[in-house]
Amino acid sequence: MRLSQTLKSTSRSTLVVGALIGTLALTGCAQHQQPTTLYERMGGQPTIDAVVENLLYRIADDEEVVSYFANSNIDLFAASLAIQLCDVSDGPCQYDGPPMDRAHQTMGITDAHFNRVVEYLDAAMVEEGVPLAARNDMLGRLAPMYEDVMRLQ
Amino acid sequence: MRNTGSSKRRAITAAATLGALLAATSSMAGSRILGTGAVSAIEGAAGGGLSPWAVLSSTASDDEIGVTAAATRAWVDDYQLTVTGASVNLHDRMEFSIARQTFELSTLGGELEQDIYGAKVRLFGDVLYHPLGVWSAGVMHKRLVDGTVPTALGADDVNGTDTYLSASKLLFNAFLGRNVLLNATLRNTSANQGGLLGFGGDQGGHAWMAEGSVGVFVTPNWVVGTEYRQKPDNLSVADEEDWQSVYSAYFFNKHVSLTGAWLDLGDIAGLPSQRGGYLSLQAAF
Repeated sequence: MRLSQTLKSTSRSTLVVGALIGTLALTGCAQHQQPTTLYERMGGQPTIDAVVENLLYRIADDEEVVSYFANSNIDLFAASLAIQLCDVSDGPCQYDGPPMDRAHQTMGITDAHFNRVVEYLDAAMVEEGVPLAARNDMLGRLAPMYEDVMRLQ
Repeated sequence: MRNTGSSKRRAITAAATLGALLAATSSMAGSRILGTGAVSAIEGAAGGGLSPWAVLSSTASDDEIGVTAAATRAWVDDYQLTVTGASVNLHDRMEFSIARQTFELSTLGGELEQDIYGAKVRLFGDVLYHPLGVWSAGVMHKRLVDGTVPTALGADDVNGTDTYLSASKLLFNAFLGRNVLLNATLRNTSANQGGLLGFGGDQGGHAWMAEGSVGVFVTPNWVVGTEYRQKPDNLSVADEEDWQSVYSAYFFNKHVSLTGAWLDLGDIAGLPSQRGGYLSLQAAF
């Protein structure tokens, strides 16, 4: 009697545990299927391209910052930056341009210039409708590049 | 009559200045990102309300100079604190600050005043870009205007110097997609109630105290958080307890911020459980 009760309760708890694990596994799968890459939350390539164009207009209006681009091919730069933002946000791209330290070496970039471009990028993302959480995520992924950009100044 | 006229004129001037600041263009501001200059702490340095932080005041960057001015009032059950202060930031490397604190003993009667001269140097890092955040060291020299009451309570000195080491770091996208600001400060001090009750006493002198805060940027303009400041307990006749606050700071732009807080300052000079409100207005150039 007592043994069968124990067995019953054991099998019941096994069932409960099994059901719990199953539920967890299912929710785990469900979570994996949600569109959670930053690339998707930003709005995909159309938004990234629009952000890059918006950023370039803001840079063009800043006489000090735009002088760094005097010898650059702007179209090439725009394409390269769009690929980099796509790559950084876990999109389907592979940035294979020059590393950040070599790309900015001996340009004489100051903290003030760096900060200004960060502000332009954030303002561009605001204007192109990127949600706050995605903007924070993107800025957080780009922030460590400061060290690389400034290394060879 | 004359007083009313002059205070009215002063109010109009203040309102006009504030209006001009709110409308000021960003080209007049430093280049650091909005909010990275924190607000003015009650001892004059850039920080939260209660504690200095590692960031330097204003938004001045490596080739810029910034100046801030702040007016602060705190009301707790039996006391009122008024602080006016100013600071200058040289190239985001050095910060110099000055503050005058007036502590009105609403229940006991009378008031205590002290001047605080501060200097802070950024040792290394950046609150946004460096993996370890920004680290700074600072000093605050405090001088009581009239040390009679603190001396009568048993304080050893009427002047004192705090030194501190502070670290601040912004964690991007850390809480519900919002950025989170962390700060920790270690302070060596002998100040009783921040210095208003003198320095040292029968129960102790200089000691290391820990201070910290956590804030969430709900939007890029608005940070909400809490702050904690450990305190010494040097006077046997006047129990001293740790301070804490819950704060909300709004940055209208790089020039104007308004901070409100709820304070719990514990026992002060024999009167228990001092709680109340805090408002601070800062202007930065």
